[in-house]
Amino acid sequence: MEEEKAQPTSARGEASMEERALSVFASERSEDITAMVLTFVSAFLVLLFTKWWV
Amino acid sequence: MANGANDAAPRGWSILFGIIMIAYGFLIRSGTLDALLRYLHTHKDADLQVTLCFILGGIGIAVGIISLLRTPGDGIFDNFVLKPAPGVLFLLLLAMVIRWYFEPIVHIWSKAAAPTLGFQFHKIFNLNYVVLGIIVGIVLTNTIGIPRFAAQGVKTARFVLKMGVITLGARYSIAELANLGQVSIWMIGFFVVGTVLLVLWLGRLFQTPHSMTGVLSSGMGVCGVSATVACAPVVKAKSHEMAYTIGTILLWGVGCMFLFPTVGKIIGMNPTQFGAWAGTGILNSAQVAAAALAFNAVDIKTLKVAEIFNITRVLFLPIIVLILAYWYNKVSEDGVGRKLSMKEVFIDKFPLFVLGFILMFVLSSSGVFGPPEHYKGKYLDFSYNQRTELTPEELDVVGKFIANPENLKGMTDTEQATLMDLHKQRQIAGNYSDRNNEKVFRTEAKERMVTLQGILAAKKIKDKEVKSAIKHGIKQVHKKSKTVVVLTDLMIWFFAYGLIGLGMQITRQAIMQAGGMPLIIGAISGTMKAVLSLIVVLLLIKDLV
Repeated sequence: MEEEKAQPTSARGEASMEERALSVFASERSEDITAMVLTFVSAFLVLLFTKWWV
Repeated sequence: MANGANDAAPRGWSILFGIIMIAYGFLIRSGTLDALLRYLHTHKDADLQVTLCFILGGIGIAVGIISLLRTPGDGIFDNFVLKPAPGVLFLLLLAMVIRWYFEPIVHIWSKAAAPTLGFQFHKIFNLNYVVLGIIVGIVLTNTIGIPRFAAQGVKTARFVLKMGVITLGARYSIAELANLGQVSIWMIGFFVVGTVLLVLWLGRLFQTPHSMTGVLSSGMGVCGVSATVACAPVVKAKSHEMAYTIGTILLWGVGCMFLFPTVGKIIGMNPTQFGAWAGTGILNSAQVAAAALAFNAVDIKTLKVAEIFNITRVLFLPIIVLILAYWYNKVSEDGVGRKLSMKEVFIDKFPLFVLGFILMFVLSSSGVFGPPEHYKGKYLDFSYNQRTELTPEELDVVGKFIANPENLKGMTDTEQATLMDLHKQRQIAGNYSDRNNEKVFRTEAKERMVTLQGILAAKKIKDKEVKSAIKHGIKQVHKKSKTVVVLTDLMIWFFAYGLIGLGMQITRQAIMQAGGMPLIIGAISGTMKAVLSLIVVLLLIKDLV
C-alpha cells in the first residue's frame, strides 16, 4: 500500500522537477511575480507614450 | 536559478545574433529591401523593424562582449541574462522571421489560392503567428534539435508566454457586455461554462491528465486558440498538450465551417438564428465569419449576429480562467497525496499571473487604455466632430445621388431615410434631438451604420463614388485606441516568442504519448455543444438578439 502511494508521489515530484527544468526560475511564484511586474511596467510605458504624454 | 547552473555558456553566439540583427536593420534603413517589404505588405513596419533590430542587436553585442570578458558564474545576472542571452536572441530572430516574412508569405499564398480553393486557407486554418510559431518550434526540435547554445534561452518561453497572457487582458472590456442583448449573454454563458464542465467531466471519465483536460476545456468552451494559450499556464499544461488542443479545435472548426451552412439551409434557419448558432457552436473567430458568409453573403445580419455571439464568448475568458485555476488546484494533490484545503487552493497555490490578467482586464474595463466600451481596442465614435465626418466632395456625391428618386428604387424606407440622414448630418449619427441621451443616440447611430453596411453588402448601389463615400462614412466612426493597439503588438511578440519556445519542447514521442484521446473528447464535447445550441437557438431565437 505504501509502495503504491509512494509511486505517484514520486511521479508528481518528477513532474514538478520536469516543470522547473523547463524554466529559468526556481519557483513558479517568482516566475509569476516577475512576469506581472515586467508586464505592468511595459503597460505603464505604453500608456505614458501613447496616452499621457502625447 | 533552478537548474542548468553549470551549463556551459556559449560565448560568441550573442555577438553573432547581434551583428545579424544590426546588419538587417541597416539593410532595411538603406532601402535595399523596399521592394520585398512592399511585396510582403510589411513596409509600414519598416521603422519598427529598424528600431527593434538596432536595440536588440546592440543589447546582444553588449551581452556577448560581457560574456567574453568574464566567465558566467551562478549569480542572478549570469543566470538570468548571460546564460539565456544566446537562446533569447535566437528565439527573437525566429519570431522576427515568422512575423515579418513567414506569416505574410503564407497570407499571400493563401490569397493567391483563394480563387481555386474558394476560401483563404490561412484564415480557415488560423495560420497566424501563434500556429506558425508552434509549427516552427516543433519542426526545429524534431529535425536539428534545440541548438546547445539556445537551451537556456528556450527555458524563458513559458515566462514570456505568461507576460503575453497578462497583456491579453487589456484587449477586452466588460462594458462590451452591456451593449449585448440579455439572450445572447445568458445563452453564450450557459454554453461556455457548460462546455468547460462537460470536457472536465469527460476528461475524468477517460482518465486523461488534468492539465490536458483543463486546457482542452478552455479551448472547446471559449474561443479556441487564444483561450487555449491563456489557460495553458493556469493548468500547467505541457507544450504538446497545448499544441494538441489547438490542433483539435482548428480541425473541429474546419469541419463545422463546412457543415453548419449546409445544415442551416436544410433546416431553413433565418439569418439571425444561423448567426447565433455559428457564433455559439464554431470555435475560431475566422471560421465563424466564414460560415456566416457561406450561409448568407448578402444579408449582413447573419455575420453581425455571429460576431456578437463570438465576442460575448470571448468575454467569458476571465471567468473561465478563474474557474480553471480553482478546479486545477482542487483536483491536484500536494506532494504527499493530500487534497488541498480551500486556503491553499485560493491563496497559497493560486497562479499569481492570473491576478495580473484579471487586473489588466479590470483596468481595460474602467477605461484606462481606451474608452470602456472598446473591444480589442476598437470602438465606435458617433460624436459630432470633424474626424467622423464625410469630406465635402463625398457629401456632394451623396447629395446628388439621393436627389434622384430613380437611384433609390429597390431600397426600403429605412435605407432611404438612413442615406438622407447621412447627408443631412454629414456623418453617421443618432438623431440630433437625442444627442444628450447617449444610450439612445448610440443605438440609433449603430442601427444606421448597420443599415448602410447592409446596403453595401446587398449591392443596392452601383455608383462607385457613392459606395466609396458610404464606406468612408462607416470607416470614420470606427476608431482604435492607440494604447490598446501598441499593447496588442507587445502581446503578439510575447506570444510569438513564447510559442516558438514551447514548440521546441514538443517532441514526436510526446505527441505519440498523448494518443488520440484529446481528439475524441474534443469531438464528443463539440458535437454535443453544436446539437444543443442548435436546439436552443431554434427554440429561443426568433429574430431579435
